[in-house]
Amino acid sequence: MTNAVALAQGASNNVTFRNRIINGAMVIDQRNAGASVTPTNQQYTLDRWYTGVGQTSKLTIQQNAGSVTPPAGFTNYLGITSSSAYSVTSTDFFYVQQSVEGFNIADLGWGTANAQTVTLSFWVRSSLTGTFSGTLRNYSGNRTYPFTYTISSANTWEQKSVTIAGDTSGTWYTNNNGGVDVGFSVGAGSSRSGTAGAWAGAAYYAATGATSVVGTSGATFYITGVQLEAGSTASPFEYRQYGTELALCQRYFLMWANGSGNVGLGGYYNSTYVTTSIAFPVTMRSGPTLTQTTGTNYYGIYSNNTLDYFDSFSSGIQQATVNCAGVDCSTNVSGTSGSIGRIVSNAGSYIGFSAEL
Amino acid sequence: MYKLVFNQMTQKIECVNKQEGNFLLSIPFDPDNTDYQAYLKWIEEGNVPTPAEENQ
Repeated sequence: MTNAVALAQGASNNVTFRNRIINGAMVIDQRNAGASVTPTNQQYTLDRWYTGVGQTSKLTIQQNAGSVTPPAGFTNYLGITSSSAYSVTSTDFFYVQQSVEGFNIADLGWGTANAQTVTLSFWVRSSLTGTFSGTLRNYSGNRTYPFTYTISSANTWEQKSVTIAGDTSGTWYTNNNGGVDVGFSVGAGSSRSGTAGAWAGAAYYAATGATSVVGTSGATFYITGVQLEAGSTASPFEYRQYGTELALCQRYFLMWANGSGNVGLGGYYNSTYVTTSIAFPVTMRSGPTLTQTTGTNYYGIYSNNTLDYFDSFSSGIQQATVNCAGVDCSTNVSGTSGSIGRIVSNAGSYIGFSAEL
Repeated sequence: MYKLVFNQMTQKIECVNKQEGNFLLSIPFDPDNTDYQAYLKWIEEGNVPTPAEENQ
């Protein structure tokens, strides 16, 4: 191999943004900062990773659960731990997945005769061995490709890759709707499972006959280095700088305040109404939902030489766009109309903005 | 479950609040917002939100 060829091949491997998965290295955990979560259905845990649970309290999810050493080159992983020995019913499902935005798969041409092949690669480790499974599914939930992979050694990181011919049928969004859902199953019933290795016109969450992690109390399933890319070969995991990865996550969820700190500039629209405007650092996928905790004196406004506490932004989010939103309070505040002030959050408070899929 | 919120400045209703566990969600009327899509589905099922209060 000549140096020129080596350089060219190296350059090819370094093509940026070839990984359609965001937070594939499980580095960003804005919501929980490494704390364990017993998720409800459709709850996001680590950034961009969504949980499907047909029954609650059967598993926990935590960044770096169990504190094992990640694969070489990684510092984090998403860890699932089974909370009991649960026998799945025919309609049960347990999985983690990422919905890749349609804009980010538009070039793949899925749903057309020119659908491109993709390769999904990842590092996985489980206390169980056997055949495990996952799925690629369209956002409408009527096209699914179940796939399988084998974990040969318990409690050992193994890298897997699966190459999948693009779907020439179905509706695959190429806008800010969900493009493709990439999921990893830890248990599913017979009616939620389909034949591995082929596209099917149904919503499946696993391949038929795959190992059920939730079926063994204390069983673990850890995953990291998830990459979905065009082509039939898995390239090395695409590392992105932390700030870049965080910004990519913030298109879908922005943690604005968590505990004591500064919220921003605000003021009294009238004597009983406080308003503030928050400009998002990244254009969000949609006008976001404001998520907040509420409690006695969780928030306050310094204005006119006093601190006026309030319990919540009771008037919620106002005139939200993908770039900016008003966040207002009209309960338990009293000040001078027209006075500006600095809004603060106190212990226990939490302000997030979600534009997740 | 859902409560409409009156905007004193614009004199319009532009979001709906929902208590979900320990969190109060405030959902804007953006058709691309998945929480708003869920709210619309809830309305389609025949449910009615709590009316807004003008001094809210």
